[in-house]
Amino acid sequence: MPLSFNHYYIRRIWIYLFCAIALLWAIGPIYWIFVSSISTRMELYATPIKSWFPSEPTWDAYIRLFQGGGKYRGGDVSPTEGLMWKSLFNTLFVSIVSAAFVTFLSTNAGYVFARMKFKGKGVIFFFLMLMMPLPLWVSIIALFFMISNAGLIDTLTGMILLFIVFLLPLGIWLMSTFVREINPEIEEAAIVDGCNRWQLMRWIIYPLSKSGMAAVFLVSLLTVWNNFLLPLIFTRSPDSQMLTVVLSLFVGQYEVAWEDMAAAAVVTMLPPFLIALFFQRFLIRGMTLGAVK
Amino acid sequence: MPIDRNRVTRQDLVFVAVILLPLIILVGILIYFPAIDSLITSFTNENLRIRRLPKFIGLKNYSKLIENSEFWIVTARSLLVVSLTLPLELLISLGLALLLTEVFPGRAMVRTLILLPWMLPPIVNGFLWGWILNGEYGALNGLLYQMGIIDEYVTWLRNPDTQIIWVAVVQTWTRFAFPTIILLAGLQSIPKDLLDAAKVDGASSWQSFKNIVLPLLMPSFAVALTIEFIAAFQIFDVIWTLTAGGSAGGAINPFTKTLMLYNYELVFRDLRIGLGAALSYLILFLSLGVAIVFVTRLYNQAVKS
Repeated sequence: MPLSFNHYYIRRIWIYLFCAIALLWAIGPIYWIFVSSISTRMELYATPIKSWFPSEPTWDAYIRLFQGGGKYRGGDVSPTEGLMWKSLFNTLFVSIVSAAFVTFLSTNAGYVFARMKFKGKGVIFFFLMLMMPLPLWVSIIALFFMISNAGLIDTLTGMILLFIVFLLPLGIWLMSTFVREINPEIEEAAIVDGCNRWQLMRWIIYPLSKSGMAAVFLVSLLTVWNNFLLPLIFTRSPDSQMLTVVLSLFVGQYEVAWEDMAAAAVVTMLPPFLIALFFQRFLIRGMTLGAVK
Repeated sequence: MPIDRNRVTRQDLVFVAVILLPLIILVGILIYFPAIDSLITSFTNENLRIRRLPKFIGLKNYSKLIENSEFWIVTARSLLVVSLTLPLELLISLGLALLLTEVFPGRAMVRTLILLPWMLPPIVNGFLWGWILNGEYGALNGLLYQMGIIDEYVTWLRNPDTQIIWVAVVQTWTRFAFPTIILLAGLQSIPKDLLDAAKVDGASSWQSFKNIVLPLLMPSFAVALTIEFIAAFQIFDVIWTLTAGGSAGGAINPFTKTLMLYNYELVFRDLRIGLGAALSYLILFLSLGVAIVFVTRLYNQAVKS
């Protein structure tokens, strides 16, 4: 029937039109920051007609950022090289270590809550979960003085400790739901064969909850990487500052050229971007549950 | 012989204790203790600028805040961000969710790509849009100029009255993916038979959308609205790089000072610890109150219809 044939194609055209608008809105800005970071200065500052596709793409901004830094008008060199390398390392280190700890601790605890019966289990679970929806802010003031007194202000150890504690409730909650989905008969068989609980964890639970652990690891990694408030408050020197803070300082404090800042922004968003692109199926469930909590 | 896998031996108790005790201690020391300590601080006049022993002053900090006009201006501004952001977000996410329930080649790719902004660091999003809205070289100016909509470049972020609108736009861009996922899940859980039956009965697609789809989506709306309310009400990162200009100790832009920025300023700039602690608890109660109203209202509506 020609009528429904036409109708089908018109509908398709509308769908793709809306998709194009949606993509322009969602990734247009990301595209532009990337283009800005690889454009030559001439093109980037061209007005009023902008060039949307760089005619001579260049990595100069990245090289300036990581090697030597750009020149100030006064002739001094901006300190971006040290700041970028150091904060890149700090961010990688803190996010990987915290995410690994959270994954390990919450898989163990998730197993305990999913499978074992003991007195006070409900109370302990409630105790660990209760503060999850509380905004971080209400405890930050006292926490700041505690961390100062413990000598952990402005240290990576302090950052890792804080991130672990704030991510634990979500991790435990996610892992207890993931472990519940494992078929209990496998564990029973292992117990009959004389496995103790630790062996059971090592040989049965960890291998079988790999995808759940990947979800918790990636959600934690992303949360730490993207966080700004904690490093803003608990670090103050370049030795322990993280990328988000350094980027905010580029915007406000240092006279960094736009194309260099764009390159720094691309570096800061690259890991989340890649994780979101390639591991999204792990993330959606964890982040949705995490937000609903 | 059936094995009771839940039977707990003494060895198992050691296992449980080794796993849970460190967690209980960590959470107790680093979450509960500071939260309670901050609550106590909120009843004192602690101020690090003034060398004196903090004195217990009861609810005075709270009354001082409520009587202070700045508190109300800042609260109203936060609510303005909320009331600009939520409708915009819900409109975009409902549209996208409806689009993504359609079956078409490339749907998975579109879904993956539109979720990207939500997963990037909000601090980058603020910077990103600050650059796009830049008055001298910004992309928005270039785009509008080339389309013939403007004759000369506009300094979008200069006008203090409209800065907050741009804050809402960037917040929308940062967050719209989340309600999209929630609404998409809600849409996919609507039984297809129901819509088919309505079609047989002669309902137009608008009628079945209004009378079947929307009411069934109410619980998803409740969840999305609550979470987006809290996210917008406690906005911080995006403003920091878009308009706040508070880096490295600089003054915080008063025209986009929302509750969280006000709280940051009270505690870490003015060092009025007691007052700041009181404000953080007020923000908590306000958020919880509104969240409860949202959820119960929308859920009740959904149950009724």
